[in-house]
Formats: sequence, C-alpha cells, structure tokens
Amino acid sequence: MTAQLVDLLLLRAGYNSAVVVAGAAALGLAAGVVGSFVLLRRRVLVSDAIGHAALPGVALAFLAGLALTGSGRHFGLLLLGAAASGTLGVLLVQAIRDHTRLPEDSAIATVLSLFFSIGVVLLSHIQTLPAGGQAGLNALLLGSAATMSLDEARLVGGAALAVVAVCALLTKEFGLLCFDAGYAAALGWPVRRLDLMLSLLLLAVVAIGLKTVGLILIVALVALPPVAARCWTHRLGRMAALSGGFGALAAWLGAAVSSLWPRLPTGGLIVLVAGGLLMLSLLCGPARGLAAWWRSRPA
Amino acid sequence: MVALLKFSPRRPPPPPLSRSPLAVQGLTVAYGGEPVLREVDFVAPEAALVAVVGPNGAGKSTFLKAVLGLQPRLAGRISCYGHPVERQRRLIAYVPQRSSVDWDFPASALDVVAMGLYRRIGWCRPVGARHREQALACLAQVGMADFARRQIGQLSGGQQQRVFLARALAQDARLYLMDEPFAGVDAATERAIVEVLRSLRQRGRTVLCVHHDLHTAPDYFEHLLLLSGRVVAAGAMAEACTAAALEEAYGVRLPAGGATAVRAG
Repeated sequence: MTAQLVDLLLLRAGYNSAVVVAGAAALGLAAGVVGSFVLLRRRVLVSDAIGHAALPGVALAFLAGLALTGSGRHFGLLLLGAAASGTLGVLLVQAIRDHTRLPEDSAIATVLSLFFSIGVVLLSHIQTLPAGGQAGLNALLLGSAATMSLDEARLVGGAALAVVAVCALLTKEFGLLCFDAGYAAALGWPVRRLDLMLSLLLLAVVAIGLKTVGLILIVALVALPPVAARCWTHRLGRMAALSGGFGALAAWLGAAVSSLWPRLPTGGLIVLVAGGLLMLSLLCGPARGLAAWWRSRPA
Repeated sequence: MVALLKFSPRRPPPPPLSRSPLAVQGLTVAYGGEPVLREVDFVAPEAALVAVVGPNGAGKSTFLKAVLGLQPRLAGRISCYGHPVERQRRLIAYVPQRSSVDWDFPASALDVVAMGLYRRIGWCRPVGARHREQALACLAQVGMADFARRQIGQLSGGQQQRVFLARALAQDARLYLMDEPFAGVDAATERAIVEVLRSLRQRGRTVLCVHHDLHTAPDYFEHLLLLSGRVVAAGAMAEACTAAALEEAYGVRLPAGGATAVRAG
C-alpha cells in the first residue's frame, strides 16, 4: 500500500491516475492563488455562497443532459450549470447587499441556504429516477477524484492554469484593489471591473473544483492556504505563490490518497491536509502565529 | 438646413471651465437622501496650500471624495485645470485617511509607495527596478528611506501617514487632495508633512488638505475653505478666517487665534 501511494505521489502509477492527481494539484494551486486575493478583499464567504449556489445548476444540468442525450454525466454541461447558478447566486448576494439594509453576511447566508435547498430537492428527485441511482451526484458535494476521467482531469488542469496565469498578470492590480480600493478608484482604476474579474476567477475555481473538492468544501481550499501562507511572509507576491503551493500540495496528497481508497471523499482528505499545513504554519511561521508571537513578546 | 438649425432645441452653451487647479460650481452631495453638502462653490488658486476646515460632519471628506469621483454628486460641475475632473485623474493625487485601510496587509512601505506609480507602469506590467528607485526617492522625501523594507503594520501611525504621503508624491500630480494627514501624528511626522507641503507649493502644485487643528491652520496654510454643510467662508486665510465665520461654522464662540496669528507663508 505504501509503495502504491509513493507511486501515486510521484505520478508513476499509470498515466490516468497521474493526470488526475496533477489536475487536482493544478486546481489546488489556482484555489490558493485566487484565495489569497479573495481573503485580502474579505470575500472568502462569497466562495461558500458560490459553491452552495452552484448545486441547483448542477442538478438542472444533469436533468438537461439526461433529457437530451440519455446520460446526465457530461462534465462540461455540469460545469456550465454550476457556473450559471453560481453566478446567479453571487449577483443575488450583491443585489441584496446594495439595495437592502441587510449586511453582506446575511445576504450570503440567505442566498446560500436558499439555493442549496433547491439543489437538495432536485437531487433527491434525481435519486428517484432510474438513471439517477448511480448518478454519483453525491460525489459532487464532497469530491471524488477516483471517478474523474482523463478528459475531465485535463479540463480541470487547463482551466486552473489559466486562472493562475490571469492572477499572475493582474497581481499588481488585485493587490491595489485589496489594499485600498478607494485610492484605486480615485486614480481611475476600474474597481468594479477588477472586483468582477476576481469574482469570475473565484467562480471558475469553484466550478472546476466540483469533482475534486466538491461544492461544500471548496471554501476551505480557498481560505486555508492563504491564511497558512500569511504566517510565513509579509509580502503579497510571496504570499500568493506560497498559498498556491500549499493548495497544490494539499490537493495532490488528498487526491493521491483517495485514489488508493476511493471510498474516502477526496474533498475531505484535501481539506484535512490543508488544515494540517495551516496548523504547521501557525506553529512555525516566522511572520504570524505562535513563533512570531513568541519572538515579539516583551522580554 | 437653416430652418433645421433654427428649430433644433438650443441649450445655452455652458460657461467655459476655469483654468484653475480646481473649480467647483454648485456641488451638492447627499448620503441616502440626506444632503451633506449644498451648493458648494470653490476655486482653488494655483500653487496654493488650502486648509479645508469645519466641524465634524461638515462634509470635508465628502467634499474631497466628490471631487475624486468616489462619492456621487447630486448636482454641480467640477473642473480641474480647465477640463472636467473625470478626465484629469492623472493630475490628481490622493492621500486617504490612514484609518481607511487595513495596515496588516502583506506589503512593505516601498510596495505601498509604488502603488502611486501603477498608473504610469500600466496594466499587467510588474513593478521594475526603476520604479522601486522612484518609490524610494519619494520615501526619502518624507524621511522614511530607512523603513522601505519594513512591513507597513510594524510602522508607527505617523510613519504610516508619511508612507501615504510618499505614495501621493509618487503620483507626481499637480493637485493634491489630503484627508487629515495631520490626524494623530507625532511631531517628526508633522514637521515632515509641513516640509512636503511647502516644497509642493514651491513647485507650483496646489494642495487641499482636510485639517482639524484651528490653531495650526494659519501657520501651515495660506488659504481656507471653511465648510459646514455649505461654504461658510473661503479665500485667503487672513480675510476668511474670522471669529464670526468660525462661530458660524462651529456654532460656538471660539478664540479667533487663527484670525490674528496669520504668518506670511
């Protein structure tokens, strides 16, 4: 078993599983990098809203696929459904925040639970269909790397790398947005469009994380790596890179382990690894956490 | 053709925009239906240091934000060097209130100052060695060169304020809008800010500075914009800063030390 795990980790356990593990690692990288900016912009919970809001879209996409082709499991279609209803959820959160007196956290809680309950009702309907029993839609909630096909993993990896590339190009602009949006607007930077761009990248990460981490736990992969990375550095660029590294490491290990034991949900394993990295960072990180506190305490 | 022209509805042409650094006409701003500023008219002279003074809630910060386009205006025209202010953003530098950002942000003092150069660097391009040199020179102007690599959260309040000032200097603008740069700073910072203000005026720049301390205002600034939901007084410090105007703005009788202690700038 240990030898198998080592093979998986070193991407030697056959082409298919290597691609699945690498795709997961790319997703972790993207989630960590985007998560850094989302955390600094104080929008982490938005990723939770997107994840939960995506569920009805996924269920509807499954039903649409079933009606059109006889099978609901078209990954591309499920992604589109997730992205569409995730977008709707985010827009609704923004509308509630901008046009009512409810603060953003209440808006998120409202939208998140509303969309999720619609999704759960649709899912239980799907379970009663003849084709629905083995639909494996539960895997979408908690992640199941073992059920990923080669094409799906390639799609996830490619999209994740694209997200990372955009973040790398816009690091300076996103940094300005996160630190001082008012100043950015005063200088004429399109703050609303930059926010929209960041939301779109987040949406992409949540959607492609569908099968790897699952819709419920994706928020952890967006939130934990940047918090851990902040413990090690005081510089934005390094924090984003390190956060991406932590995310990739967590996703890689989690995906490899759950490929060996397919009954373990991949998302849970990935988040456990990310949580371990966070604990380690809090204990040892020189910039934040216990070590930093110990060093800076008055002698 | 002539007939068409004759019948086309003609609006009277708008009066030409003032060439001065900042000209505000009939500016009205409201927060949720409640007017904060009414019918503000103000013209800032060239190469002038203007103190924007008034009681709490007088609309001082709102005035700056409306000029910067951060606060939508209900009515009014704002021009900057002869053009609508929206088209002159690159000529305007801004120093926000220090409390408006999270100083725990992962950035060094130099990183923050470099943000003033971002417009010139342009989209998607990294901050280069040349830009870092420029940012360092701006930090040196406020006496902070030694703190360039320090994380901003580890700086004192006055040092953070100087970092914000250096960031505005990096913009190399012609009009500077500063929101309470003197609030809660140490003596060294106060001296550094005053020095920067004077050097800006010497280089022909105009500065509008929200200021709380009525005692130092006449020392540091030679022009005044006294606000209290509207313009109570505006003009040269010696003429505008009268006991009557201050009483009208603040609603209480104040020692008019300001009016008598004017020093020639």
